Amino acid sequence: MAEFEALLTAKAEWKPHQIAKAGDIAALADAASALAETVKTTLGLASAGMEVVKLMSMLQNINPLLMALDALADIVIKQIQDLKEAGYYYLYVDPYYEKNVASKQKYDYGFEQLRNKAGARIWSEKDDQGNYADTIVVPTKAQIDEGAVKPHLASPRKLIPAGYNDFNPIPDPLETASKFPTFTTKEVVNEFVKAFDDEGDVPRYKLLGKISSAPKIGADVYDVDGNVYSGWNPNLVFGLPLFDKGKASEDGKIVKDYVAARKPINSRVAPGKPNQLGNTEFDGGCGAIAIIIAAPDFNQFHDVFNKFSQMFSDIPEFSATTGQNLLDSLTEIITPNDVTVKLTQVDTNYGRFAEGDVIGGRRYGSYGTIRTVNAAATVATTMTGQKEVRVVDDVGIPLTFGGKEMSVTEDFDMNPEKPDGTFRWENMEVVVSPIRGIDGLNPWVPGDTVLEQEKRGTYGTIGEDLFPNYVMKGQGTTESPHSSRVYPKVGKVAKETLMILPASTPPDFGGIQIKDIVPGWGEFFQTLENFVKQLKGMISDSTVFIQDMIDMLAQVEEFLQHIIDIIDEFLEFFRITLPSEGVYALYIPNQSGGNEGIKSELSSAGGIPDLAYAAGILFVGTEADKLIAGGGSKNPIDLLALVLGLLSSDDDSTPAELDAAAEKAQAVKEGIASALDKGSKEREDWQDKSMAEKLGSLLI
Amino acid sequence: MAEEKEELRWKEAEIRRDDIKHLMVNTKKLAGMYSDLLKIKREGWENVLKAKVKRAEKEKQNG
Repeated sequence: MAEFEALLTAKAEWKPHQIAKAGDIAALADAASALAETVKTTLGLASAGMEVVKLMSMLQNINPLLMALDALADIVIKQIQDLKEAGYYYLYVDPYYEKNVASKQKYDYGFEQLRNKAGARIWSEKDDQGNYADTIVVPTKAQIDEGAVKPHLASPRKLIPAGYNDFNPIPDPLETASKFPTFTTKEVVNEFVKAFDDEGDVPRYKLLGKISSAPKIGADVYDVDGNVYSGWNPNLVFGLPLFDKGKASEDGKIVKDYVAARKPINSRVAPGKPNQLGNTEFDGGCGAIAIIIAAPDFNQFHDVFNKFSQMFSDIPEFSATTGQNLLDSLTEIITPNDVTVKLTQVDTNYGRFAEGDVIGGRRYGSYGTIRTVNAAATVATTMTGQKEVRVVDDVGIPLTFGGKEMSVTEDFDMNPEKPDGTFRWENMEVVVSPIRGIDGLNPWVPGDTVLEQEKRGTYGTIGEDLFPNYVMKGQGTTESPHSSRVYPKVGKVAKETLMILPASTPPDFGGIQIKDIVPGWGEFFQTLENFVKQLKGMISDSTVFIQDMIDMLAQVEEFLQHIIDIIDEFLEFFRITLPSEGVYALYIPNQSGGNEGIKSELSSAGGIPDLAYAAGILFVGTEADKLIAGGGSKNPIDLLALVLGLLSSDDDSTPAELDAAAEKAQAVKEGIASALDKGSKEREDWQDKSMAEKLGSLLI
Repeated sequence: MAEEKEELRWKEAEIRRDDIKHLMVNTKKLAGMYSDLLKIKREGWENVLKAKVKRAEKEKQNG
């Protein structure tokens, strides 16, 4: 009930995203970048500032290892740059974790109708004599309307979710009730489309820095391309990034290089809808990738969503850096954590609660299975009553005062010990595995009566989405003669005790602990770089210096192996391909219709089944001026489609620069081989070199 | 006659993260190669050190 109530103000919002700029992926990209930069720096230093500089440049040309290493470092730097430059807008629609849209519960409240053991509803049908007899034959609406048949309602009356519906009495409400709130694939698509219609969702840019250092009111300001705008006011929020043209010029008047000279005067405080230069109604190039995770039952949805979220942990909503992560949240929906419930006034006349019993709170709709009973905590309930006792004299005659009989109030034990040494009412402590009811997961409220439950049919739709329907044990016998009534075990909730949450089960993405390890890389590379810089000025042949050098090199080698091991672990995770089952994608290549074009494509695209549980993410990229990553497109969405595997199912299809990287990597491999192969030309060349030459190239 | 536009359709997809995979693969290669280079350098310095110690011992022996 509580956790899935519709959030009336919930709204999915557009956000900006750049691959490799968030979360663990960003940390890895930064580390890779640091490594590549270090390699470049140290290679550069190797050929500078030393007496052997001329020989070094010659060495650089003939040593394939150094050349290949340099080339590969360039590739890595370029790759990271491309990933960081490719920016997208994304819209995340999640009814279950972020709850930025409201999911629906499929039930209405109504009086509880009796059911037989198979779960069929019991009706009371009037016979010729006017007497009612029970039947499970479902009546017609006409029979109900004319009073020939009426539902046999539980006595005393109890309002329950998916109870008898007076307005639509024929369909069994349990058949359509769902344990988990639903949000269908069509609803996700609708949210995607709706998000383009929010007129107020525009980018907003606010003054950067102090008003005193900003251009004065009314001064001319410029957009990113240098187009002039009037109407500037530092106190107002505008819809596009603005710049002061700057003063870098040769003669003090003309700005020769606007891009270098411009100074930003505002910064984005809200990204707004996908836009070009702040214009959300643009007609230019725009493309999108919509991904919907959907399944007919919640378990399957949970599994796929979990994998998806791990794969996209660079999206802040999927990041597990703070508090309860998405996996925990969804897992708790399916398998809530156990709770300890202290019970009081358990009436042993009807039996003690035992392991395996299904119990339910009468008023507040909590359900659960008893996992364990803490035997040590089973003690007699202290039940002290008070009674008024007349004061009598020695012969039993009441004493009076002022004409009234005198009395005193005395305490008495309402739960006296029985002759066999036991007590009727006891306190118990049980560990309960909570069961979600039709209206969600309800708490154990102190004072609520706890009753033993029994199964009466099922509810839900299909397969994994079919759940037992629990009712009070003996519910159908409350109107029977005393001798044939069935009584449930009974007690009262004293309180629910907080339990320590179980530790998460590795491996999960956080379990790799990349984020804890990676930050150290930057520092390491910094130290390494400083070391190299020091070496530059202190070439010495002292034994101590050489030993230091050897130790340092060994440490660096060890650290690089550490990096390789981490990457292997990380790669192992990303080798997993998200199963296609349950993941639906729509790739809208760059088109000229702007946001309206995307909206139209989203609305009209077919091929997605209407499944009950769904969440989704929509990436939108707008066309820029320059070609990106390999030069195939001006829209980063095409790059995203490529790397997500949406353009081809063939794993070999990689961007041009990745192919080039592979080729160069091969060259690198060959380079190493030839450099080390006995008998190779490079090897011979190497042997021909003087010690000074060798030292020069060997020095970091 | 205007060209009829093909309707886009949703399809089940095996989503990959080649961006991260390729970046990691290249970084791993870079780390491996750099490590190889450092190994050569280290071995070179070790040889220099050995020769130096040997030379020192020889000089000591020769008085």
